[in-house]
Formats: sequence, structure tokens, C-alpha cells
Amino acid sequence: MIVCVAVVGHQNNPLYIQSFTDADDSLKLRHIVHCSLDVVDERVNNPKKSGPTLNETFLGLLYPTENYKVYGYLTNTKVKFILVTTDLDVKDADVRNFFRRFHAAYVDAISNPFHEPGKKITSKTFAERVSTIVKSFGMSSTR
Amino acid sequence: MGREVSESCVDSLLTEMVSMYCNRLYANKPELAASRIDAIGYQVGHQLSERYTMERPRFTDHLDAIKFICKDFWSELFKKQIDNLKTNHRGTFVLQDNRFRWVSRMSLDPSENGDLSQENAEAAENKAAQEPNMHLHFSCGVIKGALHNLGIACAVSADPSHLPACSFVVRIKP
Repeated sequence: MIVCVAVVGHQNNPLYIQSFTDADDSLKLRHIVHCSLDVVDERVNNPKKSGPTLNETFLGLLYPTENYKVYGYLTNTKVKFILVTTDLDVKDADVRNFFRRFHAAYVDAISNPFHEPGKKITSKTFAERVSTIVKSFGMSSTR
Repeated sequence: MGREVSESCVDSLLTEMVSMYCNRLYANKPELAASRIDAIGYQVGHQLSERYTMERPRFTDHLDAIKFICKDFWSELFKKQIDNLKTNHRGTFVLQDNRFRWVSRMSLDPSENGDLSQENAEAAENKAAQEPNMHLHFSCGVIKGALHNLGIACAVSADPSHLPACSFVVRIKP
């Protein structure tokens, strides 16, 4: 089950953060997202020896904490998407699919002429699309 | 997604935008009009680059990003690629388009403006030369916004001396 998604801009400024649990641990989730930004920077600046994964947008599992798994995705414009999930067996293809749809929703939200780049995303349509994507992620992975 | 408009609508919008900024809002201050049009282009380029880099892997260096502008970005916008790319390998690139779409239908003949008396002919020629320049400010803004979004700070200027062929000079700031 996805507990949190976040969009972070290229100066590490938060553009959108949304948690999907009822529990009141949004502070802890923000802390997890914040720590994962360091891991993203480290992955990008110190590439592993394997060449083919150097320029991919999908960064994969960033780090597993005791309850959560954190996945990262970095776009060409240095915008980071962070996904925090409690699922124990998450398929790689599912996460990639999720990020692809999330990226499409993000691009549509950014193309709004009234959206100011660098400010938080306030579009209700974006929030609805994200919650639809999050719900369908849960459906497809519980097989 | 999936709604489209015809190209003539985009042409008309650009023409009207340039005419509004030059003739009504900043009638006697062409530099301010130019910088406002540039800023509009910047925002458009910023958002378009976000959309067109969606499925691509990340760029490794500046040349890769400039090549993306020349090939994918230009073909999404104008259905053709940049015809010629030159660089001095020290941060300056010249992108040449032999038939730039947005000015290809503009009249470049100053005598069509009606007045044929001596001093008016000169003013008309200046005004006629200004119109495509203002359109080019918008295109420079689009390129600048796209490159800034990819992390490359640069200055873009256009060379309108051989319309409808147009060269854009991109200078990357160190």
C-alpha cells in the first residue's frame, strides 16, 4: 500500500507531498522523503560502474527502512518523484508503470499557464489523478 | 490530452500577441515589449520542455541537450529539425533553420505599408523590420526557457538578416 508520494523540484523544494494513510505520521513521512533526496543525489553524482543504468529516469529502490520501501524517479528537468510504500513484494514493472503515469499527470499539471514554476502544485485535478493512480497501484499488485 | 488546434490559430495568436505588445501596451518602448515577449516565450519553453523530455533518458552533457532541442523539440514544434548546427566547442552554438515556420508567411517588403513619401518610407521600413524581430524574441524565449529547464543557463539571440532563414545563437553561461 502506498503511504506517500512526493514531487520535489530541482532545488530540493517540495512541490507536492501527499500521504495516503489515516495515521497522523505525516511528519515522519516528510522526514523519510527528505532523507531519500540525499540518496538520489548520491546515486546521480556517483554512478555505479554499470553504464546502462546511468541515464535512466527510474532510480529504483532507494533504501528500505524498517517498515517502508522508498522508490525514486528523476526527470530530465531535475524534478524528483519519491514513492513510499509499505508493500513487501512490489514488482519493478508496477513501480515503473506508476511513475510513468505520475509523470504524465505532473506534466499536465505543470502545463497549466496559471501554475508558477517553483511553487507548490495546487491543482485539484492533479490531486484527483494522483489518488486514482495510487488506488490502481494497490489493485494491480494484490494478485 | 488529445485536444488540438489548427496551426493558423497559433499563427494568429502569435501575430496578435506581438501586435498588442508592440502597438498598444508598450507602444513607444520596443525594448520593454521585446523583453515581455521574451518572458512569455520563456514560460512556454519551460513547460514544453517538461512535456517533451518525458520518456527520454537523461542527458549527459550540454551537447546532448542542444541536440535534443535541434531534433526532437524542433520537430514537435515545427515538424522539421534544425537544418544546421555549428559550435565553437567553447559554449556557443548556432542553430540554423532555413525556413523558420513562424516568419515564413510574414511580408518582408516594406513598401507594402501604403505610405510612399520619403520620411514615412524610412519609418515604415523600420517598423516592418521590427515585426519579424519581435516574433523572433518569442522564439528565443522558447529556446531559453527549454534550456533553462534542462539545467543549462544561457543567452539566446536571433539573427534575422536572411529571412525566412533564421539563425539562433545560444551562448552558454559558464
